[in-house]
Amino acid sequence: MKERLARIVADLAADYADIRYEENKKTRVAYRGKRLELVSSYATSGGHVRVYADGGKATASFSDPGRVGSIADASLASARLAAKGRDRPLRLADAPVVTGEFPVSPRVDPLTVKLEEKIELLRHYNDLILREPDVLTSEAEYDEFGSKRLFVNSEGSIIEYELLNIGIFGRIVTKRGNVVQRVRFAFGGNEDFSRLYDRDEELMERVAIARKLLDASPPRAGIYPVILDPDEAAVFIHEAFGHLSEADGLQNNPAFREKLKIGTTLGREILNVTDDPTIPGHPGSYDIDDEGVAGVKTRLITDGVLTGRLHSRETAAEFGEPLSGNMRAVDAHFTPIVRMSNIFIEPGNSSFEEMVASIDDGYYLVGARGGQTSGDQFTFGAQWGYRIENGRLGGMVRDINMSGELFSTLRAISMIGSDLSFGERGGCGKGMPMQLNRKSGKGAPHIKIDRVTLGGV
Amino acid sequence: MHELIEKARRSVDGAELYWKRDHTISVRYENYRLQGMTEDELSSVALRVIAGARLGATYGVNPEEPGLIEQAKQAARFGDEAGFSFAGKADYESVENYDKRSEALTSADLVALCERVKERIAEERPEIPLFIVAGATKRDLVVETTAGAAGRDTSTRVTLGFGAPIKGAGIGVYKSDASVSPLDLDPALIDEFLEWYGWTENKSTPKTGRLPIILAPEAAYLFLLPLAAGLSGEAVEKGTSPLIDKIGERIVSERLTVIDDPLRDGDPGSRPFDDEGVPCRRRPLLDAGVLTDYLTDLRTGAALGRPSTGNGLKRELFGGGTETRPNPWPVNITVEPGDTPYREMISSLDEGLLVTGGMGFHSGNYPQGEFAVQAIGFHIKNGKVVGRLDRTMISGNIYKDFKDVAAVSRERRLGPGGMLPGGPVPYILVDSLRVAGE
Repeated sequence: MKERLARIVADLAADYADIRYEENKKTRVAYRGKRLELVSSYATSGGHVRVYADGGKATASFSDPGRVGSIADASLASARLAAKGRDRPLRLADAPVVTGEFPVSPRVDPLTVKLEEKIELLRHYNDLILREPDVLTSEAEYDEFGSKRLFVNSEGSIIEYELLNIGIFGRIVTKRGNVVQRVRFAFGGNEDFSRLYDRDEELMERVAIARKLLDASPPRAGIYPVILDPDEAAVFIHEAFGHLSEADGLQNNPAFREKLKIGTTLGREILNVTDDPTIPGHPGSYDIDDEGVAGVKTRLITDGVLTGRLHSRETAAEFGEPLSGNMRAVDAHFTPIVRMSNIFIEPGNSSFEEMVASIDDGYYLVGARGGQTSGDQFTFGAQWGYRIENGRLGGMVRDINMSGELFSTLRAISMIGSDLSFGERGGCGKGMPMQLNRKSGKGAPHIKIDRVTLGGV
Repeated sequence: MHELIEKARRSVDGAELYWKRDHTISVRYENYRLQGMTEDELSSVALRVIAGARLGATYGVNPEEPGLIEQAKQAARFGDEAGFSFAGKADYESVENYDKRSEALTSADLVALCERVKERIAEERPEIPLFIVAGATKRDLVVETTAGAAGRDTSTRVTLGFGAPIKGAGIGVYKSDASVSPLDLDPALIDEFLEWYGWTENKSTPKTGRLPIILAPEAAYLFLLPLAAGLSGEAVEKGTSPLIDKIGERIVSERLTVIDDPLRDGDPGSRPFDDEGVPCRRRPLLDAGVLTDYLTDLRTGAALGRPSTGNGLKRELFGGGTETRPNPWPVNITVEPGDTPYREMISSLDEGLLVTGGMGFHSGNYPQGEFAVQAIGFHIKNGKVVGRLDRTMISGNIYKDFKDVAAVSRERRLGPGGMLPGGPVPYILVDSLRVAGE
């Protein structure tokens, strides 16, 4: 296979061509309430071709590897047709030719753990939830995705690499009267099965929160100073800023390119934001991206100033900026797109207590509950929160949505904690068609934002 | 009958083959330039079996690959009690969901369509970074069971979307169209895009309080998705649906009639059978505001002691696909038109919002009917649009706030697909929703 694919891209009369071929193994186990609803373990395969010719580009996904030769030829013809629709040719930044193998080496390899043991571990956590009062139902899922990938390009790169990501995650659903509340939990997020053991205490804390939320009330709608916990702050930086660091989104958006020139001041000096696939153990950790480029640490914001951006070879050429190794595809059905790896706010000097003491009328928001951005507008939920009055934490609040405009909100980050922590579940949706990427890590310390809009009653 | 089913018959109690083959071409323009083309040939298979009364599933690329039955049997060893049987033999209604002209479309045809959109918009708005996406898919779907279901369907879908971000706003204006047949340039769609884009020059933030809201077809999911979540037999069975014991009750305004209509000819979401091989049927869900039925698939139907309504789809809030377990969803949800021209809705309002989208929907408590989103759309004052909404959140509960609907438009358009693909829906004027602005 390796030699055959390498020959196909080498022989194609294109400016550049690559093929990625994958064999993927997935295991999923799911409980819904008491029911073991899903046990499935299976393999799929497929590939993806990219061709640049005459400054135009075409891509193709395929299921049948026997068809790859004719698919590459068709893509070449499409790329030439695409070139006619452009006044400026697409170019690729120079990248080193890479040959070699990049396997993963987990402490406890999930592929060696019996399916029975995975089910048993999940059942254990699920039972812990279900035996508590007020619990209406649970959702608990074990998810394992292992991918062996082969990448060849017309420049001579031949790379075999592995991705492996496992996790246990789910939701606790509580109900009293007509009130239903949901709180999430997640363990794992890397290749090591041993990270899934001994998490009872954390899970029970989550169940306690889901019960207390039944007595909480929604926040009053308005504009407030807020503290975000690390989970919520990480989602904020991922959703609101991180996506605008991805150069493929900016490439053809002149207004944002202007707003996001390197050297632009985006926040106060305390603000530092980094994307780094090379730190091990997080959902977005990897050696090599799906364009055959090694992942590197990129400092996106340094002392409040925009200093870096995430790139493909195409966008790096377009922007005249260094390669970052952020081109990734969820699986063979998709073309790679520019994505964050592990994005995080670097730790600062403030303590949580100082942040609370600095707020007269505001909220402490905890636990991310999904988010969405469109350009510089963001909105996302928190799973729960607390009122802050006169420098003191007060009663619990629920059903919280916050929204705002990125640039003013970044400038409004006025305190950053020293307690950096990373989430254990990756997750990010991007692209048309949508690619849901589990291998997307995020982290942050507690942060204080002086003004955000909260929805509520 | 596929030989995999014949083979399965000899070693398990029941089996269901789901086999999907998509051939898709698409072209994408960004900032008026052709950015790239794709051509995908993808095949995927799901095999579910019942063995020893337990359910097991496995997935693969094509039905010929070895080991599928063994893998599914292995999964069934750990599987839940099936509690239902796979779909039996049935006659499927015919529906026009295939056009051979769509199958014959080439990338060059899609480029030609995009070029026409491009030229028309460039006449008026050469300065905006216009993007255009056009695609055509031919799908061969097979759903066959050992119980005799033999669904084979070939469908086509042609899609066109275009839009542009608004300078300095971070959001954009987007329009889309879809059809079973090749799409032509729809002048009305272009005109509305240009009109909406023109409305974005000024921004405007309403005062915090309650205001009337016109929900455009693009934003209909703010109402329909919480409704679909409540109608799902899954939520009814779990006890989380707010619609339990409400059949026969008026739950929203009598102006709202919602029909799941998988057999509407020419709609790209139409189909003769669901992903479990159960025949699809036209089914009123809300009849003049009165709840008439829940949606079930085989599994939730059996749990509720009733048959599947033919709504078992491999769909999730974001995407789904062959590896997704069937769940009850509307197949092709539509809302009946009213008699008010949409422009009269706008001119009738002293102050209100025309909502064309919302951000943050999925982080809200929508399964309970609630929504709280950052509103995308326009601010109306004295019967006229005064600008695009800025820093505006709307929130509410469809089972409270949609009890009072002032008007439903006579115009209908396909919603935007995405989280809730469906058929045509009108503009809906809701008496008032909570608005958080200035």
